[in-house]
Amino acid sequence: MASSTHNRLLIIVVWALVLLSLLAVYKFISPELAPAYFPKCPFRQYTGLQCPGCGSQRALHHLLNFRLGAAFALNPLLVLSIPYLLLGFWLDATRPLKGKWLVVRRTLYGRVAILVCLVVVLLFWAGRNIPIVASWLNS
Amino acid sequence: MDTLNTGTPPKTWLVESILVTLFCCLPAGIVGIINASKVESLYHQGDIEGANRASAEAGKWTRIGLIAGIVVGVLYAIYMFVIVGSSGLFNS
Repeated sequence: MASSTHNRLLIIVVWALVLLSLLAVYKFISPELAPAYFPKCPFRQYTGLQCPGCGSQRALHHLLNFRLGAAFALNPLLVLSIPYLLLGFWLDATRPLKGKWLVVRRTLYGRVAILVCLVVVLLFWAGRNIPIVASWLNS
Repeated sequence: MDTLNTGTPPKTWLVESILVTLFCCLPAGIVGIINASKVESLYHQGDIEGANRASAEAGKWTRIGLIAGIVVGVLYAIYMFVIVGSSGLFNS
C-alpha cells in the first residue's frame, strides 16, 4: 500500500517535470523562428493539407507569451477548447461528483457532448482546408 | 432514459483525447474520442462493469498516444539538435 502511494507520487512528479520542461521550451523557443527543432505534422507533410492540430505548437508559444490573438489565428479550435478542457480536467479530478456538477458533467461531457466534440473536430479539419471557410475561421 | 445509474461515471479520457488530437497524433485522438463515447453509452445502459473496462482501455490508448507523441517529439528535437548543431559547427 505504502509503496503504491509512493509510486503514484513518483509518476506525478515525473509527469509534472516533463510537462514543465515542455512548457518552458514552448514559451522560450518560437517554433516559427526555429522550426527545425520542432516535429512537423506528418499529415501536412505528405498531403499538404492541415489537420485539426496543425498550428498548435506555434499557437502554444503565443499563448504562453499571452498573445491570444496570434494563437487564435494559428489554431482557433485549440484556443476555444481551453475553457472546456480546464473544466473537464476539474470534473475528472473531483470524485465523486455531486448534485449539479453531475448534471453539468452529463450535459457538457456526456455521450451527446462527446459526439459533438467528434463532429466539431471533423468539421474543423475539413473547414480549414476549404479556402473560403479557412479565411472565415481566421478572421 | 439515462436513469439507471445516478453515480459518477468512470473517467472517459475525453479531455486527454482532445489534447492528443490537437497536439500529437490525430488518429489516436479520434479513437480516444470514440472510446470516450463508448464509456458513457455503456455506463448509462447500466453496464458499469463494461464501462469500467472501456474506460481502462480508453485510458491505455490515450496514454500510449500521448507518450508516443512526446517521445517522438523529444527524439526529433535531439536528432535535429545534433544535425543542425554539427552542420552549424562545420559551416562556421
